[in-house]
Amino acid sequence: MTRAKVESATKDDVVILGSSRAYFDIQVDQWKKLTGKELLQLASTGSSPLPTFHDIVNNTDFDGTIVVGVTPGLFFSTTFPKAFPWERPQAKVDHYFDGTYAQRSNFLLSVPLQQNLVLMSADEEEWADDLDLKSLLRNVHWGKRIPPPAQPPFYNFGDVSIPRNISMMPKTVTDTAFANSIIKVWHFFGKGSPAPDKDGTTSFFMKDVEKFKKKGGNLILIRPPSSGGVRMGEKMGLPRERFWDSLVNLAQVKSYHFEDYDQFKNLTCPEESHLSIENANYYTEELIKILKKDNALTIQKPN
Amino acid sequence: MLFNSLSFILFLIIVLALYYSKIFNWTNKKRMLLLSSYIFYGMWNPPLVILLWISTMIDWTAGKRLAIEENQKKRKMWLILSMLVNLGFLGFFKYGDFLLENFVIIMNAIGIDFQAKPMDIILPMGISFYTFQTMSYTIDMYKRKTERARTFLDFALYVTFFPQLVAGPIVRAKDLITQFYEEKKATTNQFIWGLFLLTIGLFQKVVMADTLLAGTSDDVFGSTKLLHGVDAWVGTIAFSGQIFFDFAGYSTCAIGIALMLGIILPDNFKYPYASLGFSDLWRRWHISLSSWLRDYLYIPLGGNRHGITRMYVALMVTMLLGGLWHGAAWTFMVWGGLHGTYLILERLQRRYLPFEITKWNGMLLAFITFSCVNITWVFFRANSFEKAWNMVKSMFYMQTGGEKILDTFTIIKVTTVIAIMFLCHWFMRNTSMKEVSLKTSPYVLGVVWAIMTFLIIIAQGSGEQFIYFQF
Repeated sequence: MTRAKVESATKDDVVILGSSRAYFDIQVDQWKKLTGKELLQLASTGSSPLPTFHDIVNNTDFDGTIVVGVTPGLFFSTTFPKAFPWERPQAKVDHYFDGTYAQRSNFLLSVPLQQNLVLMSADEEEWADDLDLKSLLRNVHWGKRIPPPAQPPFYNFGDVSIPRNISMMPKTVTDTAFANSIIKVWHFFGKGSPAPDKDGTTSFFMKDVEKFKKKGGNLILIRPPSSGGVRMGEKMGLPRERFWDSLVNLAQVKSYHFEDYDQFKNLTCPEESHLSIENANYYTEELIKILKKDNALTIQKPN
Repeated sequence: MLFNSLSFILFLIIVLALYYSKIFNWTNKKRMLLLSSYIFYGMWNPPLVILLWISTMIDWTAGKRLAIEENQKKRKMWLILSMLVNLGFLGFFKYGDFLLENFVIIMNAIGIDFQAKPMDIILPMGISFYTFQTMSYTIDMYKRKTERARTFLDFALYVTFFPQLVAGPIVRAKDLITQFYEEKKATTNQFIWGLFLLTIGLFQKVVMADTLLAGTSDDVFGSTKLLHGVDAWVGTIAFSGQIFFDFAGYSTCAIGIALMLGIILPDNFKYPYASLGFSDLWRRWHISLSSWLRDYLYIPLGGNRHGITRMYVALMVTMLLGGLWHGAAWTFMVWGGLHGTYLILERLQRRYLPFEITKWNGMLLAFITFSCVNITWVFFRANSFEKAWNMVKSMFYMQTGGEKILDTFTIIKVTTVIAIMFLCHWFMRNTSMKEVSLKTSPYVLGVVWAIMTFLIIIAQGSGEQFIYFQF
């Protein structure tokens, strides 16, 4: 639904791409309240933004603003089509083009159900606390025939709504044990991730950056906050100088790293990687102020 | 459109409301059903409805000419035209890439350096089903075994009737077209039974196939490792159950939906996993296809009229082509070949080692048949010979040190489901669901219905496509 809106989006429209941080930390309602314009949120959990950016640059005439959220561990991960951070967003792009009318009507019919009923299965993440029959059975482990799963249980910590938006569940802020269970998962992913492919990803991205600039598009890079052990791991494995700064130098577009702003550098992520709903609203508000002050956005709130 | 989708629920409600409203006469109700069937098909890929139209037009015209033409040569020409168009569609859309791929292999094998880009042709959903259905009409017309459809509307609806359009049952003209001549209306009991069958079909698909079995089968057949024998067997029996529940589920839905409209479709499955031998299996599994292959392939190839050797050849050719009907890959041919071999061996056994089947040895025989069928499913499900052969080696412990990938709970879950399925087939093999329901208290049936509905809801299927749509 949101991707379809990009087809008819104007110069004044803003599209957000990125991984879960751009998805959690930029709140669409807050954005609309402060700018008067609907935000097209296309960031996606566990995903590299490269396939989606490639799709918009190459398959649409969009020449407005694209804000790309950079989560270093995913942005610089890979360009290998079968790798998880690539395959997941690419599947969404493919679905946009290949989805049947039946699938589209199923989605439209599911909207009122999604808004009025509690869903027992969340989504592609296969959360450990899903209540659908398949998930309940998947989570039963008897005996020691095979080693237990290496990944700690991954519980759902975000509420998804329509138009596309995700906000952190309050439980993640108030229940430290729950937040710690999510942190364990980030640490597991961090330790198990293959080495980043900085050259491959940067080169792929830069080709699309040049194309987008030629079309007159306005690209903005943001680096949303992380904290605690996740931040520490990123500093060690994906140091700012080698990754973010290098990308910004090459792209030559407006860019905003949370560490460079007093408003952001002390924000704490309850599970070390995403902001609570309150802080996400604050981040969205302050980011808009910064972008406006910097004339990075073409839109202004109508009187 | 999938039966297990929200769109279909809305679609069916609208169709039933229009069908039972008083605004249409019977002809207009049939027009409405025809239009609904095109919408049902077009919701997947609208341009491919054109293939249905072409197939309908060609066979309607051929049927019309065959009804009045007396010149045998001309009659044959009309039959050939129909076969060329239908088999041509099937050949191009289903086997185009396969034929090209094998042509390249042959060229390279004889030293000619030839490369071809795959054509990447879309496989129109259900093409194997509706082409076989419409061809049966023309062949029967040619053999003067059926009457010409009275109107084009009746014929078009026969080709396109949405409950069985994409995955059967493959219905013969005399069994379906004639039902369109008089106004049809389900009785209250038929309507309720149809709804019950639709629930059972969805339960088989969403709960049994997709939720309980598909994951294990996908894990085992998707694994690149050499597997432990237990894992290979459990993955295989999981697929065995999955494909039965998936396909029988579709047929049960189709029969139920048609019955809600007052139209009766034939059974397509009769508890096949309790078959006593392979002839019995093919009288119980995908009955509408096996009877099609018998009538339009095996018998024209000579059947059992020209001696034993010719009969075995006819049997094997029929089963090989039956295998190929399921998919454009050599693994499907091997699947068909194994079934052909089983049928030949069974006939040899009957000839040279006959024995009486009693209630004591029957269950053992059914179990042996089921086990042999499971071996064939390995070739059906594996995406390469290498994978299939590795699975067979694991299943028969021809390799040691295979890796364990399934946990204890999964093994217990799958074996329990399959054991219950096998026992249900055994105890139901000489009866039918309808007969059992008549002897069962309505309260018990209501509770069973409620449990199935509850399980369908909590399974929350993600709209998995029926396996047989690809065939």
